[in-house]
Amino acid sequence: MAENPYDLLGVAPTASAAEIQKAYRKLAKKHHPDLNPGDKAAEDKFKDISAAYTLLADVEKRKRFDAGEIDASGAERPQQRYYRDFADMDEGRPYASSAAYSDFMEDENGFAELLRRARRAQANRRGDDMRYRLPIAFVEAIRGANKRITLPDGGSLDVAIPPGLVDGQVLRLKGKGAPGMGTGGPGDALIEVEILPDARFTREGDNITLELPISLSEAVLGGQIRVPTPTGEVTMSVPKGSNTGTILRLRGKGAPRRDGGSGDELVRLKVILPKPPDPELEAFVSTWAKGKDFNPREGNRS
Amino acid sequence: MSMGMSREQFLATSGARVHKLEFWLEQKWLIPEATDTGEGFTDREVARARLIQDLETDFGVNSEGIDIILHLIDQLHGMRRALTHLRADLGAKASSLPPDSQA
Repeated sequence: MAENPYDLLGVAPTASAAEIQKAYRKLAKKHHPDLNPGDKAAEDKFKDISAAYTLLADVEKRKRFDAGEIDASGAERPQQRYYRDFADMDEGRPYASSAAYSDFMEDENGFAELLRRARRAQANRRGDDMRYRLPIAFVEAIRGANKRITLPDGGSLDVAIPPGLVDGQVLRLKGKGAPGMGTGGPGDALIEVEILPDARFTREGDNITLELPISLSEAVLGGQIRVPTPTGEVTMSVPKGSNTGTILRLRGKGAPRRDGGSGDELVRLKVILPKPPDPELEAFVSTWAKGKDFNPREGNRS
Repeated sequence: MSMGMSREQFLATSGARVHKLEFWLEQKWLIPEATDTGEGFTDREVARARLIQDLETDFGVNSEGIDIILHLIDQLHGMRRALTHLRADLGAKASSLPPDSQA
């Protein structure tokens, strides 16, 4: 880039940072190579525009340029490959979609026949990608699992679910789609994983929450209780005087994080009175003076 | 092209943050290959991630907008693919015609 960056962006040398950004966005949107997949010149234009912007958006660099200390070529973007370079090859799968013209192929006319034939006629056409849905249990999504999908043609597909998967994520199994023609090779299997809700656990980011009923005596006196986690039961101490809504944290018992470590399991306690009502408890509470004096709603009100 | 980057290599190459990547995966903007050792990313995913970052950071497009743009771009490339096939098909026919009748 040798041209003056102000000229390239079409702004005055006195332009404010906001004006420069606005001008850049307007031009860049028009010339981004990925938004102009068939325009070979777009890449060079975009490169010049972004270099100009890189220079002028940096207060320090802009100052030095204005003072003549550096020239416009100092801010060139390194050579990069744009997405369109991949999408234009057969590597564009699994993203490329035929949604824009599939209706044309359904027509009963010469053009539709040409389209259909063009698709078929590719001697070394890669096989189609096959899409599947795979429902898995909540704990399987946390722990990871090996699942087998039975295919419509009677075959089967083994899928390794990585631990910590999120709902709706797509797993791509290379070469497990429909067979290709010639040397085209098979397509991929795209498996959309649906995580079924769990009666006990819910996931919030990396953490898992669980509502756990405890007895009145466990709440008042504390004690050791067994708590379910996705990886099995663990023992947890309930401190003396715990209440409904008290949240206890089991460190590292949540969903695994990909960068190592795990979230936590948050156990929300819920005090449950004995059922049916216990006459002894009723008798005690009716003679328990302090219990009557204590009003938990006090101070909560305005 | 380099094959099968791990998640860590992908993050290092693309400069993306983990939580961003997780969001992109959830949105199905990126679909890495499932391999025995976990996800396999390629340069294609890096290039696609760069496009998403350009849209978000440089152009100020929000995630709803990016979702629409990617969908349209993916359709555009599907069209280009179909056109490429048609060109090959028709080109073979056209080249058997006299030169002056070629388009």
